[in-house]
Amino acid sequence: MRALVLILISICLLPFIVRPAIASEIWIFAIFGLGLNLLLGYTGLLSFGQSTFFGSAAYVAGWLLKTYGINVFLALGIGVAVGAVSAAAVGYLCVQRSGLYFIMLTFALNQLFYFIAYQWTTVTGGEDGMPGIPRPEFLGLNFKDPLVYYAFVSILFLLSLYLMRRIVESPLGKILQAIRENELRAEAVGYNVPRFKLLAFVIGGAFSGLAGVLYAMLFGIVPLEAISFVFSGNVVFATLIGGSGSLYGPIIGSFVFIWLSESMSVVWARWPLLLGVAFVIVVLFFRGGVVEVWNKVFAWRSSKQRA
Amino acid sequence: MALLETKSLSKSFGALAAVKDVTLEITEGSLHSIIGPNGAGKTTLFNLLTGAFPPTSGRIIFDGKDITGTPANRVAHLGLARSFQRTNVFPAFSLLDNVWVAAFATGRSWGGLLFKKSTNYPEATERARAALSDVGLLPKAHVAAREISHGEQRQLELAIALAAAPRVLLLDEPAAGLSPEETRNMVALVRKLKGRYTIVLIEHKIDIIMSVSDRISVMHFGSLIAEGPPQEIQRNPEVRRAYLGGIAA
Amino acid sequence: MNLLLGQILNGIATGMLYALMGLGLSLITGVLNIPNFAHGALFAIGAYLLVSAANLVGNFWVGLLLAPLGVALLGLMIEYAGIRRLYAAGHDYQLLFTFGLALILNELIIVIWGPVGISQLPPAILRGGVDLGFTFYPKYRLFVMVMAGMLVLLTWLFLEKTKYGAIMRAGIENKEMVSFLGIDIHKLFTFAFALGAFLAGIAGALTAPIRGLSPGMGVDMLGIAFVVVALGGLGNLLGAIAAGLLIGVAQAVVAAYWTEASTAVIFAVMALVLLIRPQGMFGIR
Repeated sequence: MRALVLILISICLLPFIVRPAIASEIWIFAIFGLGLNLLLGYTGLLSFGQSTFFGSAAYVAGWLLKTYGINVFLALGIGVAVGAVSAAAVGYLCVQRSGLYFIMLTFALNQLFYFIAYQWTTVTGGEDGMPGIPRPEFLGLNFKDPLVYYAFVSILFLLSLYLMRRIVESPLGKILQAIRENELRAEAVGYNVPRFKLLAFVIGGAFSGLAGVLYAMLFGIVPLEAISFVFSGNVVFATLIGGSGSLYGPIIGSFVFIWLSESMSVVWARWPLLLGVAFVIVVLFFRGGVVEVWNKVFAWRSSKQRA
Repeated sequence: MALLETKSLSKSFGALAAVKDVTLEITEGSLHSIIGPNGAGKTTLFNLLTGAFPPTSGRIIFDGKDITGTPANRVAHLGLARSFQRTNVFPAFSLLDNVWVAAFATGRSWGGLLFKKSTNYPEATERARAALSDVGLLPKAHVAAREISHGEQRQLELAIALAAAPRVLLLDEPAAGLSPEETRNMVALVRKLKGRYTIVLIEHKIDIIMSVSDRISVMHFGSLIAEGPPQEIQRNPEVRRAYLGGIAA
Repeated sequence: MNLLLGQILNGIATGMLYALMGLGLSLITGVLNIPNFAHGALFAIGAYLLVSAANLVGNFWVGLLLAPLGVALLGLMIEYAGIRRLYAAGHDYQLLFTFGLALILNELIIVIWGPVGISQLPPAILRGGVDLGFTFYPKYRLFVMVMAGMLVLLTWLFLEKTKYGAIMRAGIENKEMVSFLGIDIHKLFTFAFALGAFLAGIAGALTAPIRGLSPGMGVDMLGIAFVVVALGGLGNLLGAIAAGLLIGVAQAVVAAYWTEASTAVIFAVMALVLLIRPQGMFGIR
C-alpha cells in the first residue's frame, strides 16, 4: 500500500533530516493522535481532555522508572494500563452525557487532573515537572543512544498503527462509525452506545498512555504541560489539520505540528498564534485536513491527465 | 396466538398523556395496522414498544414474556425491529454497510469484535445482502447512503430493519414522502414481507392500509377507539368522527 | 471565624463573577448549541482592555464602560465572520472554530500586552477598606459584589421581562419554532453571542483590580465557566447564577483551610455532582 511504503521510507530517512529526538517525538505524537482519532474521527466524540491519560501515564510510569528502576517494557505496560484505566474513569463520567456536556466534561476533568498535578508538588514536581526519568538498558539494548531509542519508538509506532488499523477494520470500527453517523439508529439496531463509547475511550486512553511513557523517557522529564489543556488542544489541532477522516491523518498532523512547533518556536515565541490561524483556516476551508487537500489534488491531477 | 401484546399501556410527558391505556394484541404472522390522525400517539406507541423510553404504566408482552422497560438496544436482540418515520440511516456508509451493522448486531456471535476484519463475517454479510435484495437495492450495495434518492432511502430504512432477521417488524410510515409509483413499490414490498414476518404498520395512506391489513387499530388522542378488520373500521362511526371531526357520520 | 466570614464575602464576590461568566456561557451554549471555547479569552480581553482604556483615558470608569463594549464588538465579529459561516458545516466545526480562536486570542494578548502579569489599581474612591465589624474589608470587592450582582439581576430581568429576552429564551428551547415564527435566527445567534461576550468582558474588567492580570487568566476561567454551566444545567440561566455563587463560596471557604486544593475542589465537586445527578443540580435537559 502506498501509504505504508511512504511511512516506512519516512521512518528510515527521518533521523537523518532532523535530530533523532525530534524524529522520535513525531512518532510518539502520532501514536497519541491515533488514539484521539479513534474518538474524534471514527466515533465523532470531541474529546478535549486526552492529555489527562497521556500525562497520568507519563507521571506514573516515569515515577516508577525513576524510583524503582523498573525495566522499559514494564514501564510501557504500566503506561498503557494507566492510560486505559484513567480513560475508563473519565469516560464513564463523560459518555453518559450528550454531546455538549460530554465536550465540556472532558475539558473540565482534564483541568481537575491538571490542578492535582500542579499542586501535588512532592510527587509531580508541580510547575517544574518530574525530572530524572531514565531509559534503563535492557538485554544489552542501550536505549540511551538516541538512534536506538528512535528505532524502539518507530517499531512501537508501527505496532500501534497496525493495531489501530485492525481495530478500524473490525466490526468495532464499523460500530463506532455507525454511532458517529446516527447514534439513535445504532442504538435501535442493538448496540449499547454508551458502552461502546466507553470502549473507544479506553482504547484511545491506552494509546495515549503508551505515547505518554515514551514521551517521558524521550525527554527524561514529565513537564506539567503534558497533562494540560494546551497539550490536549495540540493533539486535536494536529489530528484535524492532518485530517480526521483517515487513519493516516494523525500521522500527517503530527509531522505538521511537531515540525511547526520545533522550527517556529526558536524563531518566534508566539508561534502558537500561527498554529491557531492554521487551525482556523483548516476549520473554515479544509475540513478534511491535509488528507482532503491531498486527495483533491490527486483527483484534479488525474482528471487533467484524462482530459 | 398473540406474539406481541400491550396491556393498559400508558405514557405521559408531564401533563400530556400521549398514550392512554392501550391494550393491543398482535397475532403472529398477521399484518396489524395502527391508524389515527396526527398526534394520536402512534409513534409514541412504537417508541414504547421498542424501548425508546419506559411507559408510565402498563405492560408489554412479547412471546409470552414481559419485556416492559427493556432498553432500546436490547429490544433489537429480542426480535423486534423498527423502521422510522423520518429516514434514519447511516449517511456516510455504503448501503451494504448500513444493513451490515444491523445484521451484525443481532448476529450469532461477536467473536473477534476488535480484530477480525468486518468483511470476514459470512453470516452477517449474507443477511445484509438478503435484506438489500428483498427491498431491491442490492445493485447499489456499494453506493453511499447519502447519495441515493429519497425513495430509495425509505427502502434502505426498511432493509435495515429486515437485516436484524426479526420476528416482528414495526414500520412507521414506510411510504412517507414517496411518489405514487414509489408508494406502489413499497406496498408490493410490504405485501411480499407479509407472512414471513409479523408486521405492525403505521400509515396515513388509506389505500395501503386497506389493501394489506389483516386488522386495524385506530388511535385518537392517545386512546384506542376502534379495532377490527378493515371493512368494519371503514364503517365505524367513531372512526369517521375522529378523522372528520363530526362533520359527516 | 472572622477569617471564615471574610472568605465567605470573598466567595460571594468571586461567585458573582462566576455567575456572570456562567450566565454568558450558558446563553451562548443554549442558543447556539456550542460550548464557546473562546469564552475565557473574552474574559481575559475584557480585563486587558480595561487596563488599556483606563490608562489611555486616565479614567477607570470610562475603561469599565469601554472594555465590555469592546469585547461585545469582538464577539459580534467572531460570530458574524466565523461561526455563522460554519452554520452549514455543523456544530462540531463551529465549536472547533471557537477553540482555534481561543488559542489565537490568548497569543494575541501576549503579543499586545506582553507575557508578564500586570496589575491594575482600583479607582481612587474604591481603594482601601471598610470596617465591617468582624473584619476590615476591601472597598473594591464590595463594589464588585454589588456591581456584578446588579448586572446579573439586570441580565436576568432582560431575559425574563423583555420581548427580546423572551425571544432568546425561546431560542434556547426551540430554535425551529422561533425561526418558524419569522424571527431571523441568525440575528438571534449574533445577539446572543455578543451579549455573552459582553458579560464575559465585564466580568474580566471587574476582576482586573482584584487579582491582577496574566495571560493565563482566560484558560483558568474557561474551566470554571464550564463547571458553572455543567452544574447549573445547559441553558438554565437561574441555574448558572446559583451554581456560580455556590462554586465561588465553596472555593473561598476551602481556600481558608486548604489553599492548594481550592481550585481542584471545584472540578472534583462537579465530577461528583454529575456522577449523582447527570443533568446538573438544576438542569432539566
